[in-house]
Amino acid sequence: MATTARPAPKHSPDAYGEHSGLWSWLSTVDHKRIGVLYLYTALFFFMFGGVEAIIIRAQLGAPNQHLVSAEFYNQLFTMHGTTMIFLAIMPLSAAFFNFLIPLQIGARDVAFPRLNAFSYWVYLFGGIFITIPILFAVAPNDGWFGYAPLTTRAYSPGINIDFWVIGLLILGVSSLAAAFNFLTTIINLRAPGMTLMRMPMFTWMAFIVQVLLVLAFPVITIALVFLLFDRFFGTNFYNTVSAGADPLLWQHLFWIFGHPEVYILVLPAFGLVSEVLPTYSKKPLFGYPVMVYSGILIAVLGFGVWAHHMFAVGMGPIADTFFGLTTMLIAIPTGVKIFNWIATMAQGSIRYTTAMLFGIGLVALFTIGGISGIMHASPPADLQQTDTYFIVAHFHYVLFGGSIMGIFGGIYHYFPKITGRLMDEKLGKIHFWLTVVAMNLTFFPMHFSGMLGMPRRIYTYDAGQGWDLFNAMSTAGAMIFPIAMLVFIYNFFVSRKRGEIAGSNPWGAGTLEWTIPSPPPEYNFAKIPTVTSRYPLWEGKGIDYECARINSQEGKTPADLGIVMPYSTIKPLFVALGLVTMFCGLIFARALIGVGAALMIFSLYSWLLSPLEPEHH
Amino acid sequence: MNGSARLRRLASYAFVAALVVAAISCNEAHPNSTLTPHTDLGREIDFLWDRLLLLGTIVFVLVEVVLIYVVFRYRRRENQGTPPQTHGSTKLEIAWTLIPAVILVFIAVPTVRTIFITQAQAAPGSLEIDVTGHQWWWEFRYPDYGVTTANEIYLPVGRTVNFRLRSADVIHSFWAPQLGGKRDVITNRTNYIWYTPDTSIAANVWNGFCVEFCGASHANMRFRVFTVTPQQFESWVAGQKMPARFGAVGPAAPTTGPIPPPHEGPAVTTPGGPNSPTQAAQAAAHGIAQQSSGTGAVGGTQPAIPRPQNAEANPRARLGAAQFPSVATASAGVAPGYIFPREKVPDYAIPHSPIPPGLKFTAGLTGNAHRGLKIFSGAACIGCHTIAGNPMAMGTTGPNLTHVGSRIAIAAGRFPNTAAYLALWIKNARAMKPEVIMPTLGLDEYDPVLKAKVTSATGGLTDQQIADIVAYLTALK
Repeated sequence: MATTARPAPKHSPDAYGEHSGLWSWLSTVDHKRIGVLYLYTALFFFMFGGVEAIIIRAQLGAPNQHLVSAEFYNQLFTMHGTTMIFLAIMPLSAAFFNFLIPLQIGARDVAFPRLNAFSYWVYLFGGIFITIPILFAVAPNDGWFGYAPLTTRAYSPGINIDFWVIGLLILGVSSLAAAFNFLTTIINLRAPGMTLMRMPMFTWMAFIVQVLLVLAFPVITIALVFLLFDRFFGTNFYNTVSAGADPLLWQHLFWIFGHPEVYILVLPAFGLVSEVLPTYSKKPLFGYPVMVYSGILIAVLGFGVWAHHMFAVGMGPIADTFFGLTTMLIAIPTGVKIFNWIATMAQGSIRYTTAMLFGIGLVALFTIGGISGIMHASPPADLQQTDTYFIVAHFHYVLFGGSIMGIFGGIYHYFPKITGRLMDEKLGKIHFWLTVVAMNLTFFPMHFSGMLGMPRRIYTYDAGQGWDLFNAMSTAGAMIFPIAMLVFIYNFFVSRKRGEIAGSNPWGAGTLEWTIPSPPPEYNFAKIPTVTSRYPLWEGKGIDYECARINSQEGKTPADLGIVMPYSTIKPLFVALGLVTMFCGLIFARALIGVGAALMIFSLYSWLLSPLEPEHH
Repeated sequence: MNGSARLRRLASYAFVAALVVAAISCNEAHPNSTLTPHTDLGREIDFLWDRLLLLGTIVFVLVEVVLIYVVFRYRRRENQGTPPQTHGSTKLEIAWTLIPAVILVFIAVPTVRTIFITQAQAAPGSLEIDVTGHQWWWEFRYPDYGVTTANEIYLPVGRTVNFRLRSADVIHSFWAPQLGGKRDVITNRTNYIWYTPDTSIAANVWNGFCVEFCGASHANMRFRVFTVTPQQFESWVAGQKMPARFGAVGPAAPTTGPIPPPHEGPAVTTPGGPNSPTQAAQAAAHGIAQQSSGTGAVGGTQPAIPRPQNAEANPRARLGAAQFPSVATASAGVAPGYIFPREKVPDYAIPHSPIPPGLKFTAGLTGNAHRGLKIFSGAACIGCHTIAGNPMAMGTTGPNLTHVGSRIAIAAGRFPNTAAYLALWIKNARAMKPEVIMPTLGLDEYDPVLKAKVTSATGGLTDQQIADIVAYLTALK
């Protein structure tokens, strides 16, 4: 296998060297390049949200500090949450969906390549739209959860919340379009023999996440449209200054979206780690069917637990009991995943690559978040925990210890597939250990500050409350993150230019994406493979290896192979631009609504009337 | 494998962890700890927490130990062939599905039991307290006693207290961590939480917080709970029912609790000046500021504050009212009933917030409480604040100030209640607490909401006038 010395590749491994002009990126419909766009954009927003977090921690490093004002602090924590959830973790997952799903199922692209480009551009413009205000200190300031009636015009008269409502609506369009696209892709474009129960675990988790997106995003969209109407057109869904409005309507709608959202954030990382652990243990994933079923079960139960965010609301004993018990139930399939990952490594032959370290890190750290999750699944116990720093500790172990660790593992694992070069392992390990130290030093003390009574979302706290030490620890930990990220960024960009040439399968992995050259040619598979097992490169039959041999050949153009590729087109970008311009009109100048709508309709019409690809001959 | 060395290392880690747990459950250094419950509800929750912590710790240690063992034991070795390609084990997977399920039963059963116990209706005869959350302060009313206070509540130990929670504006959440769990205070709804303070915690102070994000000054929406003996509570109630002793000459209120010595007389020297009440030259009080109409009131249903119906029942209350406004000098502000002795208030209950930079107050001014009363009664103050016994002050937008002089903090626990802070607060509240609804009152101060300087035409008060008001308010014990 390709882990030893490899011959120099025939074509340049510099990613897409032959199509590197700006225009080619603006007009691309190639799922791999769109995945790369998602990756870069989301990493940028990840660092932007990180800077917000560092200012937050600097402010809280000692009692009664006034580094930033209360008003700006509230914008910072609101945008930290909003950025990390909607602009960093979800799009980082989307980067992998884009890049990997077609490669893992043996397809040449996603089902709707131009819709895919549209999703990305909507995400980019929506991300810019919701991020720009903080540079002018008019960013959303009522928390990522935006509880009504605080978010209604009566209590938030400024444009801050307008940016939040409209920004989230825009981002929802992107997520929904992408979700339908990936669902169709996974259902329809699997290679011959790629039955559902042979799909790689990442694609399985991606599939479940798309279902969650399709079911959860309409709910938040409705909730946001109600709020938009309250704020702009004087309706009274949540507007409690008028009689009859119910602020709990918002909470229910928000969390019916918000809890599945947690699984939208963490299941892709579970999928990535389910690729990483078997590869570096040289063993198939332990209990594949149970891993699939537990993923499905988590998704189903995930829609029945939303009110555990509301145990302090006073829903009554019956509702508290129901949601407490369903929340405890969801621990069972989650625990099964943890145990199966450990069993995957047991008796294996473990190689400590950086990707593997991040994978092991996920198992170790997500476990902590899972256990603290059980602690507030018990509604009476939650009354002492909710809205304190204990919860902040919990969900950072879930989202950093789970999602981010998994995503970094995925980046180190798939970097050679994306760029054709390996990342530096030594720097990668420095990045890993710095991240683990920073993560635990920042978030573990929050368990204590929370149980010692420190509320969340406070811009300052008084001296003598018993929180000083733990906050100082958290702040010290937070200051290590930027060092870790600098190591990662340096490694990323230097390796992209000068890293060791990877070859098609540098890690000796077993799934389809490792049968094709790195970076993959634009058509992915010269010959659509026929699949006979879950790990075609490990346990396949003759036909698997024959397909792999053909597909690993480099230097062929689509014309050589007679493969029809879709046209590049800028039209999805203009549709996205028109959509966002139209929404901007609500805040800035009503005339923009017409301009944006005209641009969107014209571009959409033109898009729909132009063919996707040249006619087949 | 030197397993014993690793075991010893683990044991030492466990020991350090135990030390940390012991340290944080120590009450002295951690005044808001949820781990030292002082009520029945607190103990119910703590019982669950202990079980969750125990089971969670066992699961955590087991999983991490197995993980670390596997990761070290099965690391790749030289010349190692392909490991066994196992795909799963039905027996194992059933086992680790069932074991967590069994563990969860041990959590679920007491959880459900506790839910139904703690969410039953409060026992009859409980002390009812109406809590109203405002941006950003707490209003407390004792409907059975006709007492209204703000940001500070007194609870008799050993008697169940049933909090009836409502909001005047957005959603808040009511929480005193040492006493029990929290409950959201929701617009257009009424919520309840009840608990019984232990008799062992009589004469103590506990911090409380708003724990649902409610806008700019969410962090500055704190309150204090005084748990006192039933006798002290009765005395406190008796004192609260009558107007403040300011101007009233009467016998000390009948009480078994200790009556605190007056901390400060009605004549108050403002910060920066000498502490002795020297008779500084006092400019004649100029025209009393016109009442401003800008109260910044917010919408929402506002429960009416009961007028002091006790005025009929209590002759001294009427006395206080009758003597207004002819009082020349206030009597020493001795509280008419029990109040928690200020010198016994622990450090954690006294705010340490620094004064925001840029705020200044003329040094050496001496306030006159009688003049202060007149100025207060003619200024914007009365648009928002009620002071029982002062017929001019009947506003309900802001905190009831009837006994403000007996409170330990102002601005919902943001600043200590001393003349220095109170003077600056009246002068420029909006600089003292972000986005507070109370308008800026100091002459020539900049108001960030009105985006203008306060002039005498818009009700601006001179430093001397403010010093007089401070003297008046401080005397309201």
